[in-house]
Amino acid sequence: MNPEHLKYTKEHEWIGEMDGVHAVGITTHAQEQLGDITFVELPVVDTEVKAGTPVVTIESVKAASDVYAPAAGTVCAVNDDLEGQPELVNQSPYEDGWLFKLEGVDASELDKLMDAAAYKAYLKELDDA
Amino acid sequence: MRKTPLYEAQQTLGCKIVDFQGWAMPVQYDGILEEHHHTRTRVSVFDCSHMAEFRVEGEEAIQAYGRLVTNDISSLLAGRARYGALTTAEGGIIDDVITMRTAEDALYVVANVSTAETISSILTAISPGVRDVSDETAKIDVQGPESRDVLTRMGFAAAGELRYFHNKWVTWEGWNLLLSRTGYTGELGYELFVPNEAAVSLWQALLEHEAVKPAGLGARDTLRLEVGYPLSGQDFDKSRTPLEANMHPFIAWDTEFPGKAILEKQKADGGHQRLTAIETEDRRAPRSGFEVFDGDQKVGVVTSGGYGPSVGHGVGLAYLDPGYQEPGHDLTAGPRQLSIKTVQLPFYKKGTARK
Repeated sequence: MNPEHLKYTKEHEWIGEMDGVHAVGITTHAQEQLGDITFVELPVVDTEVKAGTPVVTIESVKAASDVYAPAAGTVCAVNDDLEGQPELVNQSPYEDGWLFKLEGVDASELDKLMDAAAYKAYLKELDDA
Repeated sequence: MRKTPLYEAQQTLGCKIVDFQGWAMPVQYDGILEEHHHTRTRVSVFDCSHMAEFRVEGEEAIQAYGRLVTNDISSLLAGRARYGALTTAEGGIIDDVITMRTAEDALYVVANVSTAETISSILTAISPGVRDVSDETAKIDVQGPESRDVLTRMGFAAAGELRYFHNKWVTWEGWNLLLSRTGYTGELGYELFVPNEAAVSLWQALLEHEAVKPAGLGARDTLRLEVGYPLSGQDFDKSRTPLEANMHPFIAWDTEFPGKAILEKQKADGGHQRLTAIETEDRRAPRSGFEVFDGDQKVGVVTSGGYGPSVGHGVGLAYLDPGYQEPGHDLTAGPRQLSIKTVQLPFYKKGTARK
């Protein structure tokens, strides 16, 4: 299940408010597609990003793929636990497996993203295609 | 998509199916990492029924076959096998093949699915003694340190005696099976060539053992890469010669094979690229298609790469220019200049294949 309080992108990232800033991760669907995750390359704190900027590289046993910033902001924290336990992204994509946090996100920018219901419909569309 | 005789039995077990060279094949069951580790420590069974098999019978057919492969077939003893290549007139690799002599006057040849049609037309044309048995044959690989124990307990007494790269026709539940102590994982293991009709009962009998789990093509790929086995169609094809693909130990220069003169010249001239082992220091992995650089100079290309689950870092195979083929060169790979180093194979050194 994709949590109700998060917003979703077509590239299968999620973004949601956490402790006054916005945390970003990948969805259950994304981690299933990637398979066992073996390495997560995180951004440097204080990096400014625009919506759509590749920020994280996730490597799995199958391939390497980029994670894009769902919104503009400044990276204010990264999930250091992933260095030793990249599998947290597989095991807990919406909680322990978060990737980085952004500050200075314009909340109105998030309105352009999908809510949980729209993302669910989008996944179904992909599945039927 | 074509289906193997084990398709339904595998679907029941809940695997993810992909199209592999036109065949519906399981890519993973519980996850590639878990299947990988299970194979290195216990026993995994792999459905490899999509692969191609040929029987070559009679002296004339055997001699004709011997002129198509880089191996010396005349000195291959009954019950033993050799790894080698079928080559084009230009010296390129059509496919890598295992040739077993299963009796004084019979060979059994195993080839890859990607080139199965080409090889079938080449081999069946050389002699009426050659028969393509792919469609009637299922192949189950039983791989892992406990594979000998499992097969012995199932009544395969020969499993206890067979040495590495040896083979024997055996009977099991009334079926004639070819048992070969070969594999693609680096672990103690066997390949069983069985009639389609016997495949499901053998598969299920194997899975009854606590040590045995099914594994898919994903784990097969990480396992083979960690021991440096090249993959036909990915690490070489007709555009690469056996010398370039690092297959020189499997060329019998005193026998005839297509493209021999060209390869002799390449060997004398040197200066060709060679498939070389590369690794990273961390979990980042080189990937197929990454260009390899020494500073600004392009010196090669990665053909296979990924995370090595048992070694804990990235591993790969790359065609590198002369001067970079020995261990110890520090290079970069890919658009983001991943640091890599040339090393000696295998990456994973604790394999039990020869135990």
